[in-house]
Amino acid sequence: MKIFKGEPVSPGVAEGRVCLYQAFTCDVYETYVQAGREEDALKRYERAVRAADGELLRLIDSFSAENADKAKIFEAHREILTDEEIDGEIRAAILGERQAADFAVNRVYTEFALLLSKVEDELIAARATDIRDVRNRLIRILHGEKEKNLSALSGPVVVVAHDLLPSDTATMDRKNVLGIVTEVGGATSHSAILARSFGIPAVLGVPDVTEAFTDGAYATVDAITGEVYLEPDEETRLRIGKKRDAFQKDRLDAARYLVDGGRLADGTHVDIGLNIGSGAEMDAIQYCDFVGLFRTEFLYMQTDRLPDEETQFSAYRDVLQKAGGKPVTIRTLDIGGDKTLPGLSLPKEENPFLGCRALRLCLRNRDLFLTQLRAILRASVFGELWVMFPMVGSLDDLRAAKDALSEAMRMLDQRGVPYDKTIKTGVMIEIPSAALMAADIAAECDFASVGTNDLCQYLNAADRMNPDVKAYYQSFSPAMFRMLKMIFDAFISAKKPVSVCGELAGNPAAAPVLAGLGLRKFSMNASSVAGLKRALRQIRLDDARELAERVCALDTERAVKSLLGGNPV
Amino acid sequence: MYAKTVMLKNASGLHARPASEFVACAKRFDAKIFIRNLDKPGAAPANAKSIVRVLAEGIPADTRIEISAEGGDETAAVERLAELIAAGLGED
Repeated sequence: MKIFKGEPVSPGVAEGRVCLYQAFTCDVYETYVQAGREEDALKRYERAVRAADGELLRLIDSFSAENADKAKIFEAHREILTDEEIDGEIRAAILGERQAADFAVNRVYTEFALLLSKVEDELIAARATDIRDVRNRLIRILHGEKEKNLSALSGPVVVVAHDLLPSDTATMDRKNVLGIVTEVGGATSHSAILARSFGIPAVLGVPDVTEAFTDGAYATVDAITGEVYLEPDEETRLRIGKKRDAFQKDRLDAARYLVDGGRLADGTHVDIGLNIGSGAEMDAIQYCDFVGLFRTEFLYMQTDRLPDEETQFSAYRDVLQKAGGKPVTIRTLDIGGDKTLPGLSLPKEENPFLGCRALRLCLRNRDLFLTQLRAILRASVFGELWVMFPMVGSLDDLRAAKDALSEAMRMLDQRGVPYDKTIKTGVMIEIPSAALMAADIAAECDFASVGTNDLCQYLNAADRMNPDVKAYYQSFSPAMFRMLKMIFDAFISAKKPVSVCGELAGNPAAAPVLAGLGLRKFSMNASSVAGLKRALRQIRLDDARELAERVCALDTERAVKSLLGGNPV
Repeated sequence: MYAKTVMLKNASGLHARPASEFVACAKRFDAKIFIRNLDKPGAAPANAKSIVRVLAEGIPADTRIEISAEGGDETAAVERLAELIAAGLGED
């Protein structure tokens, strides 16, 4: 038995045979056929095209009922496969230059992929991926290899990979994926977002797994603690099996509360919000009252270039339309710190979490900021959109951000583009200085949402990524709850909405305390919704208030945890 | 040879779905058909029956484009494609 450790990004427990996934890499050499054999090479190409078309048709057939979007991807692939310019150039290369079929396919497709990747329009440039996918399919067929991808798995498996590309996860046969383990990625990566939205247990950022695991090996994935076991021993299997049963039982029990509205035992209404990173996670909006946090970083991480206004606009509009009139809080770009962008080179900082990140970075890169603000404003006519600025530390920050928003509005006015002129503008409270100034901030904005993860890190001066200071990162400390009380009080007395969108909001142990402190808007990942609704239903408002008062009067985190009972974190 | 200049009005330009609609329609004619971006100096005519060529032109919204065709059904082809563009290529 070997144990590996990574970051659990989608909770659950899974065990089963490993499918070691490696994207097909095509090794193609410059080869020519003998004079007189051109027709044979052409026939091989034509047979490969027919075989590829057959594969695509089967894929379309298998997806069209359950997932029209996936089917559309393969429809686009068929269009490329039969493109008369690509086809014409390949035929000319085979017949005119005696190139071998695989060499001709590789060369021509790669050239066209390059041509498209240079187009300024992001959406078109992204289609280069489709051309490469079709190229790989043809070359694989020409090399006589079977299809190996995640779209047609033979049975239930634990997928182990270096990384999963958007094209892999988009076509993934998800009912057969028990769990996901990758070497790269973290909680905000593409794979994590998809795993959460599909409810597949996942542990990412596990070093060296593709070397240690082989196809068919037995793996156990504990995506609650982040441990991955290779060939677990009997005792481990028994222990993890019990954990899985308990987790599933708890899930099933909590699921009964999913469709209910959020309320306390005495009927006090509570709004439940959804945290998302892309439109793909909007299914759960049916059980929620609003989108409390739409992280926009995902859009910026998909390609090597910064997304243009149009690309962002259509992504935001998509979410607004799926929300069907429920408020959607879009957080402007939050990078820097631990999150970097492929399309933007950032100077290396000695202390990135205290450096030029999020709003600070946007204010320094004004064009980048204005592009996003224009896209957000344009999307605001498609529903109820609220815009929120991360890392506000002072009124100066808030005023500078609002100034940029006004400039973006003037730009749209000049273009005659409509937007919601009364768009709600708010701040993310995650720096203690902003918490101390909450009343002043409340006077100049429309709402706030508390990012408890960063607030906890800054309040306790403990890096949340550093395991050596884990004991100092105290999200249940009395200091934390006292600070939250200050923030809630300020916004409640200003009659402005305040929510919590950090991890604390989805934690059932913290829920009664937060409700007692006056919080009525909790926003969280889809997987936490049912459990949180259940936790809120267990407590009456007067009891919650009393509990909150007692928690704030305690002196250590240990005392808070023992009062709340069990193991709250 | 028959040609016509039209204005592309789609909000998102000639990409993805609108481009597919356009190419699918062009393929129904026998004539050789070309599309050219008149607002981009030096842009060469691109094969209107090739999705990759049409996409590679990256034609944005509010662009004047020329549709030309050569062959038996050239007039019908150009007129039909011009109509399709005027109708917004199936987009809102």
